[in-house]
Amino acid sequence: MKRLSLLVALIIIVTVSLSEARIKTKGRGEKMNFDADSIQESFKPTFNLMSVKCIKCHTMERVVIAVQTGRAPITGQPFNKQAVKAYGIKMLRKPNSDMDKKEIRDIVVFLNYVLDENQK
Amino acid sequence: MIRNLMHASPFLLFFALLVAAFAPDSAHAIPAFTRSYKVECSTCHTIFPELNEYGDAFLKNSYVFVSKVKKTAKDTEPPPAPIAKAVTIPKPVASPAAPVGASPDIQGAGDDELLRKLKNGAMTTTETAEPAQPPAPEATLSAVETPQPAGEQKSEGLLLSAIPEQLPISFTGALNIVYDNKAVNEFDFSTRAFKLHAGGHFRETVGFFATYVAYSEQPPASTGNTSVISTNNKTDLTEFFVSWRHLLDTPVNLKVGRMQPKLGLWKTNNKLSVTNNYLPYTYTVGGQSTGQQSVFRIDQTQDALELNSILGKRFFVAVGAVNRKGQNSKEGYGHVSYKFGGADYLANEPEIDLAKEESILDFLTINIGGYGYVGKNGSANSNDPKNSFYRVGLDSELLYKSLRLRLLGGYGDDDKVDTIAVNQWTRVISKSGTIEAEYALRSNLLAACRYEYLQQVASPQKQGFSDQYIRRYIATVGYNPYENLKLVAEYKYELVTSAINRLGTLGLTFGF
Repeated sequence: MKRLSLLVALIIIVTVSLSEARIKTKGRGEKMNFDADSIQESFKPTFNLMSVKCIKCHTMERVVIAVQTGRAPITGQPFNKQAVKAYGIKMLRKPNSDMDKKEIRDIVVFLNYVLDENQK
Repeated sequence: MIRNLMHASPFLLFFALLVAAFAPDSAHAIPAFTRSYKVECSTCHTIFPELNEYGDAFLKNSYVFVSKVKKTAKDTEPPPAPIAKAVTIPKPVASPAAPVGASPDIQGAGDDELLRKLKNGAMTTTETAEPAQPPAPEATLSAVETPQPAGEQKSEGLLLSAIPEQLPISFTGALNIVYDNKAVNEFDFSTRAFKLHAGGHFRETVGFFATYVAYSEQPPASTGNTSVISTNNKTDLTEFFVSWRHLLDTPVNLKVGRMQPKLGLWKTNNKLSVTNNYLPYTYTVGGQSTGQQSVFRIDQTQDALELNSILGKRFFVAVGAVNRKGQNSKEGYGHVSYKFGGADYLANEPEIDLAKEESILDFLTINIGGYGYVGKNGSANSNDPKNSFYRVGLDSELLYKSLRLRLLGGYGDDDKVDTIAVNQWTRVISKSGTIEAEYALRSNLLAACRYEYLQQVASPQKQGFSDQYIRRYIATVGYNPYENLKLVAEYKYELVTSAINRLGTLGLTFGF
């Protein structure tokens, strides 16, 4: 009975932790974005930054689909941590991207977090 | 009336730019490469047709999307495991009773779903075999089916035939309003051109490109400096070549056809201005009488065979031979360029440590190229001696954040250029240079200013040949309300040997 209780408790803990880990999305098409409510509090400023700066040139849908599929939706290239860093560098160097190195670094860390959550 | 218009023109220009400034900010452009790869024009262009460094890499890789090769900055962390489910391909099982050599019995009605998945997997470069479905609202990331990335999905038939899925044809048009202070008709609206372009690749092995000038017109007795216009001012196939990529599994590409030989760092149209090509690329030598002159220009298209290669990602080399119509001897050329900083020639991003403070080197890119061309030209079927000539040049480009600085320098030597005197020829030394600074005020609003210089001097000084000098000051503003539509306003102040020219241009260029 004790073992059974422990097993049930373990299952509940794992299930709860998994469900909390997942990042939700909301909206469709060009309005698709990560659901701010499901993002860890410490990442919310970065998420807000992305939602303002990245959409100057492309939709957030592009980022969401890249995270969901593991592929950049336009090029079909792998979208993993290595690619996230490369995209970050590309955006840093892009004229008029209006993002400094710290902002890019924060966004790269945030996207790595989202990718990790998506793997859980 | 004209004076009134001249006074009004700055206001008209300002009004035009003001209207343009309130036009929509972005749109999806649709020429051939955009259609084929489903990317924006701005992937490869600043304001088309000027290329950014990714467009330059695309060009150098014979119109194959280079980021398919490899992306990116190094990262020590391993990539996440593929999220798509692997599809196990069941092996057909032959009946034990089947005779040797007989076809195996295929049993069952088949699995259409599995076949669809297998074909889907075969036609894409990804391991993903899940059906494309848009994620539902409020869905969790890991719960949704994986939408299929655009990539390059093709039907099996098209793939095996090596035929591009989208018809790789684009159209570009140019309409210019030109103000020329010396023309009888000072304001002329007749400069226009309409071109067809085809470009792409066959299974990433053979790249191809063609440009056909379907129609062009410019004012009579024009100063002839309008780059949107074909030089012959009529229909013409100006480019038509194929490039066999990675010849025999080597890093060398073989390019054959009518092309602009790889000499300078930039093709003719790779600039913001719609009218003025770079002087070191466009000048011709002599032309003092109706007889022989050296008609060669760096940027002219020629029937050529070229070998080129990207070595070590940052070094580009090209050598080629040119067949000039009406003469047996061939001409030859070579080009080398190297890129410091920035994305390399395969479009891989540079390694930048994001944990460190910002540095100038994070944003600095320097591209340096040198070239040489050796040839011989003259009047066909004539006893006149042929002109042996050569050109050498050095180009460089510096990119730093929103600033782009281009420097061009050229030197030429023609040993037999005609003079006014009959049967008299002289050697002419030409020197040319350009410096251009361009700044991106916004991603779709660029401003540039340029200074150019050319001198042609007979050496030794020969009676009957007038030395020539040109100095140009050019200011350009370019704006694209849509990525496939460009508005340009520019003004050129030109000092030639015995005259001053003032040319203003309001140009509209579009592609679809």
